[in-house]
Amino acid sequence: MPLIRRAGARGGRGGVKVRWLDALIVALSAALFVCLAVSVYGGPPSSVLVITSGGDEWIYQLSQDRVIEVPGLIGVSIVGIHDGEAHIDDSPCANRTCVASQPIRRPGEWAACLPNGVFIRIEGEDIQDEFDAFVR
Amino acid sequence: MSSTRSYARPALPDGGRRLAAFLAALAFFLSTVEYMLPRPVPFMRLGLANLPLLLAVDLLPFGSYIALALVKVVGMSVLTGSLFSYVALFSLAGTLASALVMRGLRALAGPRSLSYVGLCVAGAVSSNLAQVALARVFVFGDSARFMAPAFVGLGLASGLALGAFTQAFASKSAWLAGILATPSAAEASAGGSE
Repeated sequence: MPLIRRAGARGGRGGVKVRWLDALIVALSAALFVCLAVSVYGGPPSSVLVITSGGDEWIYQLSQDRVIEVPGLIGVSIVGIHDGEAHIDDSPCANRTCVASQPIRRPGEWAACLPNGVFIRIEGEDIQDEFDAFVR
Repeated sequence: MSSTRSYARPALPDGGRRLAAFLAALAFFLSTVEYMLPRPVPFMRLGLANLPLLLAVDLLPFGSYIALALVKVVGMSVLTGSLFSYVALFSLAGTLASALVMRGLRALAGPRSLSYVGLCVAGAVSSNLAQVALARVFVFGDSARFMAPAFVGLGLASGLALGAFTQAFASKSAWLAGILATPSAAEASAGGSE
Protein backbone atom coordinates (compact mmCIF):
# COMPACT_ATOMS: atom_id res chain seq x y z
CA MET A 1 0.00 0.00 0.00
CA PRO A 2 1.45 3.42 -0.88
CA LEU A 3 2.39 5.84 1.90
CA ILE A 4 0.74 8.69 0.00
CA ARG A 5 -2.23 8.60 -2.32
CA ARG A 6 -2.64 11.39 -4.88
CA ALA A 7 -4.28 14.47 -3.42
CA GLY A 8 -8.03 14.34 -3.78
CA ALA A 9 -8.09 10.65 -4.61
CA ARG A 10 -9.88 9.83 -1.37
CA GLY A 11 -11.90 13.02 -1.39
CA GLY A 12 -13.25 14.93 1.56
CA ARG A 13 -10.13 15.21 3.72
CA GLY A 14 -7.08 17.36 2.98
CA GLY A 15 -5.23 20.53 3.97
CA VAL A 16 -4.30 21.67 7.45
CA LYS A 17 -7.22 22.74 9.60
CA VAL A 18 -6.21 24.47 12.82
CA ARG A 19 -8.18 23.34 15.88
CA TRP A 20 -8.86 25.51 18.91
CA LEU A 21 -6.35 23.69 21.11
CA ASP A 22 -3.70 24.17 18.39
CA ALA A 23 -4.31 27.91 18.51
CA LEU A 24 -4.15 27.87 22.33
CA ILE A 25 -0.84 25.96 22.41
CA VAL A 26 0.74 28.21 19.75
CA ALA A 27 -0.46 31.33 21.58
CA LEU A 28 0.92 30.09 24.93
CA SER A 29 4.27 29.19 23.34
CA ALA A 30 4.47 32.60 21.65
CA ALA A 31 3.63 34.33 24.96
CA LEU A 32 6.34 32.30 26.73
CA PHE A 33 8.83 33.28 24.02
CA VAL A 34 7.98 36.98 24.37
CA CYS A 35 8.24 36.91 28.19
CA LEU A 36 11.60 35.12 28.09
CA ALA A 37 12.92 37.44 25.38
CA VAL A 38 11.91 40.56 27.34
CA SER A 39 13.49 39.25 30.54
CA VAL A 40 16.77 38.36 28.81
CA TYR A 41 17.12 41.07 26.17
CA GLY A 42 15.40 43.92 28.00
CA GLY A 43 18.49 45.03 29.97
CA PRO A 44 20.43 48.26 29.46
CA PRO A 45 22.97 48.33 26.60
CA SER A 46 26.56 47.59 27.59
CA SER A 47 29.67 45.93 26.36
CA VAL A 48 31.02 43.24 28.64
CA LEU A 49 31.64 39.66 27.65
CA VAL A 50 30.86 37.05 30.32
CA ILE A 51 32.45 33.62 29.89
CA THR A 52 31.16 30.72 32.00
CA SER A 53 32.91 27.37 32.35
CA GLY A 54 33.06 24.81 35.16
CA GLY A 55 31.20 27.04 37.62
CA ASP A 56 33.58 30.01 37.11
CA GLU A 57 32.85 33.26 35.32
CA TRP A 58 35.27 35.64 33.62
CA ILE A 59 34.29 39.12 32.50
CA TYR A 60 36.05 41.05 29.72
CA GLN A 61 35.61 44.40 28.05
CA LEU A 62 34.46 44.11 24.45
CA SER A 63 36.36 47.26 23.60
CA GLN A 64 39.77 45.51 23.80
CA ASP A 65 40.74 42.93 21.19
CA ARG A 66 42.16 39.77 22.72
CA VAL A 67 42.27 35.97 22.48
CA ILE A 68 41.17 34.01 25.55
CA GLU A 69 41.86 30.36 26.34
CA VAL A 70 38.96 28.89 28.30
CA PRO A 71 39.44 25.50 30.03
CA GLY A 72 36.38 23.27 29.62
CA LEU A 73 35.17 19.73 30.22
CA ILE A 74 37.03 18.12 27.30
CA GLY A 75 39.75 20.63 26.49
CA VAL A 76 40.45 24.31 25.85
CA SER A 77 38.11 26.55 23.86
CA ILE A 78 39.48 29.67 22.21
CA VAL A 79 37.33 32.80 22.48
CA GLY A 80 38.31 35.85 20.48
CA ILE A 81 37.27 39.49 20.90
CA HIS A 82 37.66 41.51 17.71
CA ASP A 83 36.16 44.89 16.82
CA GLY A 84 33.63 44.78 19.66
CA GLU A 85 32.44 41.27 18.85
CA ALA A 86 33.10 37.97 20.61
CA HIS A 87 33.29 34.60 18.92
CA ILE A 88 34.26 31.02 19.78
CA ASP A 89 37.22 30.68 17.39
CA ASP A 90 38.07 27.08 18.25
CA SER A 91 36.84 24.28 20.47
CA PRO A 92 37.66 20.58 20.95
CA CYS A 93 34.07 19.41 20.30
CA ALA A 94 33.17 17.02 17.47
CA ASN A 95 30.53 18.87 15.48
CA ARG A 96 31.93 22.42 16.02
CA THR A 97 28.50 24.01 15.95
CA CYS A 98 29.82 26.66 18.34
CA VAL A 99 32.61 27.68 15.94
CA ALA A 100 30.04 28.03 13.13
CA SER A 101 27.88 30.39 15.19
CA GLN A 102 27.75 34.12 14.48
CA PRO A 103 29.82 36.60 16.56
CA ILE A 104 27.92 38.17 19.45
CA ARG A 105 27.93 41.88 20.36
CA ARG A 106 24.58 42.96 21.91
CA PRO A 107 23.27 42.34 25.45
CA GLY A 108 21.49 39.00 25.67
CA GLU A 109 23.29 37.45 22.71
CA TRP A 110 25.11 34.22 23.48
CA ALA A 111 27.03 31.30 22.06
CA ALA A 112 27.86 27.98 23.66
CA CYS A 113 29.90 24.83 23.30
CA LEU A 114 27.77 22.20 24.99
CA PRO A 115 30.29 19.31 24.85
CA ASN A 116 32.99 21.50 26.44
CA GLY A 117 30.62 23.26 28.86
CA VAL A 118 31.68 26.77 27.75
CA PHE A 119 29.08 29.53 27.54
CA ILE A 120 29.72 33.11 26.41
CA ARG A 121 27.26 35.98 26.54
CA ILE A 122 27.04 39.76 26.36
CA GLU A 123 25.73 41.21 29.59
CA GLY A 124 24.21 44.61 30.27
CA GLU A 125 26.30 46.07 33.06
CA ASP A 126 27.66 49.56 33.62
CA ILE A 127 31.31 48.81 34.33
CA GLN A 128 34.23 51.23 34.13
CA ASP A 129 36.88 50.81 31.44
CA GLU A 130 39.89 50.51 33.78
CA PHE A 131 39.94 46.72 34.22
CA ASP A 132 41.39 44.13 31.82
CA ALA A 133 39.36 41.24 33.18
CA PHE A 134 38.07 39.85 36.43
CA VAL A 135 36.69 36.61 37.83
CA ARG A 136 33.53 36.32 39.91
CA MET B 1 -16.72 18.22 24.76
CA SER B 2 -17.49 14.57 24.23
CA SER B 3 -15.81 14.71 20.81
CA THR B 4 -12.48 15.58 22.42
CA ARG B 5 -12.26 12.25 24.31
CA SER B 6 -13.71 9.92 21.70
CA TYR B 7 -10.35 8.82 20.21
CA ALA B 8 -9.22 5.17 20.54
CA ARG B 9 -6.01 3.75 19.08
CA PRO B 10 -6.13 0.78 16.69
CA ALA B 11 -5.66 -2.64 18.31
CA LEU B 12 -2.59 -3.86 16.42
CA PRO B 13 -2.19 -7.68 16.42
CA ASP B 14 1.39 -7.76 17.81
CA GLY B 15 1.01 -4.89 20.24
CA GLY B 16 2.44 -2.52 17.64
CA ARG B 17 5.95 -3.98 17.65
CA ARG B 18 6.23 -4.29 13.86
CA LEU B 19 4.87 -0.78 13.33
CA ALA B 20 7.22 0.58 16.04
CA ALA B 21 10.18 -1.03 14.28
CA PHE B 22 9.12 0.52 10.96
CA LEU B 23 8.69 3.95 12.55
CA ALA B 24 12.10 3.65 14.25
CA ALA B 25 13.72 2.86 10.89
CA LEU B 26 11.92 5.86 9.40
CA ALA B 27 13.25 8.03 12.26
CA PHE B 28 16.83 6.91 11.54
CA PHE B 29 16.40 7.67 7.84
CA LEU B 30 14.92 11.11 8.49
CA SER B 31 17.63 11.81 11.06
CA THR B 32 20.26 11.06 8.41
CA VAL B 33 18.47 13.33 5.93
CA GLU B 34 18.41 16.13 8.49
CA TYR B 35 22.09 15.60 9.30
CA MET B 36 22.87 16.35 5.64
CA LEU B 37 20.87 19.60 5.53
CA PRO B 38 22.74 22.85 6.26
CA ARG B 39 21.57 24.68 9.37
CA PRO B 40 20.70 28.35 8.93
CA VAL B 41 21.39 28.92 12.63
CA PRO B 42 23.51 26.78 14.98
CA PHE B 43 21.24 24.65 17.22
CA MET B 44 18.44 25.10 14.65
CA ARG B 45 16.97 21.70 13.88
CA LEU B 46 13.75 21.02 12.05
CA GLY B 47 13.36 17.77 13.98
CA LEU B 48 12.40 15.61 11.01
CA ALA B 49 13.15 12.48 13.04
CA ASN B 50 10.28 13.39 15.35
CA LEU B 51 7.72 12.83 12.58
CA PRO B 52 7.43 9.05 13.26
CA LEU B 53 7.06 9.73 17.00
CA LEU B 54 4.36 12.28 16.25
CA LEU B 55 2.43 9.77 14.12
CA ALA B 56 2.94 7.11 16.81
CA VAL B 57 1.01 9.20 19.35
CA ASP B 58 -2.20 8.05 17.66
CA LEU B 59 -1.04 4.59 16.61
CA LEU B 60 1.01 2.75 19.22
CA PRO B 61 0.17 1.49 22.72
CA PHE B 62 2.12 3.28 25.47
CA GLY B 63 4.84 0.63 25.88
CA SER B 64 5.71 0.51 22.19
CA TYR B 65 5.49 4.30 22.02
CA ILE B 66 8.09 4.82 24.76
CA ALA B 67 10.24 2.06 23.27
CA LEU B 68 10.16 3.93 19.94
CA ALA B 69 11.25 7.15 21.69
CA LEU B 70 14.19 5.38 23.39
CA VAL B 71 15.29 3.59 20.21
CA LYS B 72 15.16 6.92 18.35
CA VAL B 73 17.48 8.52 20.93
CA VAL B 74 19.98 5.67 20.77
CA GLY B 75 19.87 5.52 16.95
CA MET B 76 20.33 9.26 16.52
CA SER B 77 23.17 9.27 19.06
CA VAL B 78 24.92 6.55 17.08
CA LEU B 79 24.44 8.48 13.84
CA THR B 80 25.83 11.72 15.32
CA GLY B 81 28.59 9.98 17.29
CA SER B 82 27.41 11.27 20.66
CA LEU B 83 26.17 8.00 22.19
CA PHE B 84 28.85 7.81 24.89
CA SER B 85 28.93 11.52 25.71
CA TYR B 86 26.64 13.35 28.08
CA VAL B 87 25.18 15.16 25.07
CA ALA B 88 23.12 11.99 24.56
CA LEU B 89 21.46 12.70 27.93
CA PHE B 90 20.19 16.00 26.54
CA SER B 91 18.70 14.17 23.58
CA LEU B 92 17.14 11.62 25.94
CA ALA B 93 15.64 14.28 28.21
CA GLY B 94 14.28 16.27 25.27
CA THR B 95 12.77 13.28 23.51
CA LEU B 96 11.17 11.86 26.67
CA ALA B 97 9.74 15.25 27.65
CA SER B 98 8.35 15.72 24.16
CA ALA B 99 6.96 12.16 23.99
CA LEU B 100 5.24 12.37 27.38
CA VAL B 101 3.78 15.84 26.77
CA MET B 102 2.38 14.84 23.36
CA ARG B 103 0.92 11.62 24.76
CA GLY B 104 -0.54 13.44 27.74
CA LEU B 105 -2.17 16.07 25.53
CA ARG B 106 -3.67 13.37 23.32
CA ALA B 107 -5.10 11.69 26.44
CA LEU B 108 -6.86 14.99 27.19
CA ALA B 109 -8.00 15.87 23.67
CA GLY B 110 -8.74 13.86 20.52
CA PRO B 111 -7.89 14.79 16.91
CA ARG B 112 -11.06 16.84 16.51
CA SER B 113 -9.84 19.50 18.93
CA LEU B 114 -6.05 19.03 18.74
CA SER B 115 -4.24 18.35 15.45
CA TYR B 116 -0.61 17.41 14.83
CA VAL B 117 0.21 21.13 14.66
CA GLY B 118 -0.59 21.73 18.33
CA LEU B 119 0.90 18.39 19.38
CA CYS B 120 4.14 19.12 17.56
CA VAL B 121 4.52 22.67 18.88
CA ALA B 122 3.91 21.47 22.45
CA GLY B 123 6.37 18.61 21.97
CA ALA B 124 9.08 20.77 20.42
CA VAL B 125 8.81 23.55 23.02
CA SER B 126 8.75 21.10 25.95
CA SER B 127 11.73 19.23 24.49
CA ASN B 128 13.75 22.43 24.20
CA LEU B 129 12.73 23.63 27.67
CA ALA B 130 13.80 20.29 29.16
CA GLN B 131 17.20 20.65 27.51
CA VAL B 132 17.62 24.22 28.76
CA ALA B 133 16.69 23.05 32.28
CA LEU B 134 19.26 20.25 32.05
CA ALA B 135 21.89 22.72 30.78
CA ARG B 136 21.11 25.01 33.73
CA VAL B 137 21.50 22.23 36.31
CA PHE B 138 24.50 20.37 34.93
CA VAL B 139 26.52 22.61 32.58
CA PHE B 140 26.00 26.35 32.33
CA GLY B 141 24.31 27.31 35.60
CA ASP B 142 22.36 30.57 35.59
CA SER B 143 23.78 31.52 32.17
CA ALA B 144 21.46 28.94 30.60
CA ARG B 145 18.58 31.40 30.93
CA PHE B 146 20.06 33.30 27.99
CA MET B 147 19.45 30.24 25.82
CA ALA B 148 15.77 29.95 26.76
CA PRO B 149 14.21 32.57 24.40
CA ALA B 150 16.06 31.25 21.36
CA PHE B 151 15.21 27.63 22.19
CA VAL B 152 11.52 28.39 22.77
CA GLY B 153 11.36 30.46 19.57
CA LEU B 154 13.09 27.76 17.54
CA GLY B 155 10.81 25.11 19.06
CA LEU B 156 7.77 27.14 18.11
CA ALA B 157 8.95 27.66 14.52
CA SER B 158 10.13 24.10 13.91
CA GLY B 159 7.03 22.68 15.65
CA LEU B 160 4.74 24.70 13.41
CA ALA B 161 6.59 23.61 10.26
CA LEU B 162 6.83 19.90 11.12
CA GLY B 163 3.31 19.80 12.60
CA ALA B 164 1.78 21.35 9.47
CA PHE B 165 3.71 18.92 7.27
CA THR B 166 2.62 15.94 9.38
CA GLN B 167 -1.00 17.08 9.35
CA ALA B 168 -0.93 17.43 5.57
CA PHE B 169 0.71 13.99 5.27
CA ALA B 170 -1.84 12.40 7.61
CA SER B 171 -4.74 13.85 5.65
CA LYS B 172 -3.51 12.29 2.40
CA SER B 173 -1.80 9.05 3.42
CA ALA B 174 -3.58 5.85 2.43
CA TRP B 175 -1.04 3.91 4.52
CA LEU B 176 -1.98 5.81 7.67
CA ALA B 177 -5.69 5.57 6.89
CA GLY B 178 -5.32 1.79 6.57
CA ILE B 179 -3.75 1.50 10.03
CA LEU B 180 -6.29 3.82 11.60
CA ALA B 181 -9.08 1.72 10.05
CA THR B 182 -8.01 -1.20 12.28
CA PRO B 183 -10.67 -1.53 15.00
CA SER B 184 -9.70 -0.42 18.50
CA ALA B 185 -9.69 -2.92 21.37
CA ALA B 186 -13.08 -1.68 22.58
CA GLU B 187 -14.59 -1.88 19.08
CA ALA B 188 -13.12 -5.35 18.51
CA SER B 189 -14.56 -6.72 21.77
CA ALA B 190 -17.94 -5.09 21.09
CA GLY B 191 -18.03 -6.62 17.61
CA GLY B 192 -17.08 -10.05 18.95
CA SER B 193 -19.91 -10.09 21.48
CA GLU B 194 -22.63 -9.36 18.94
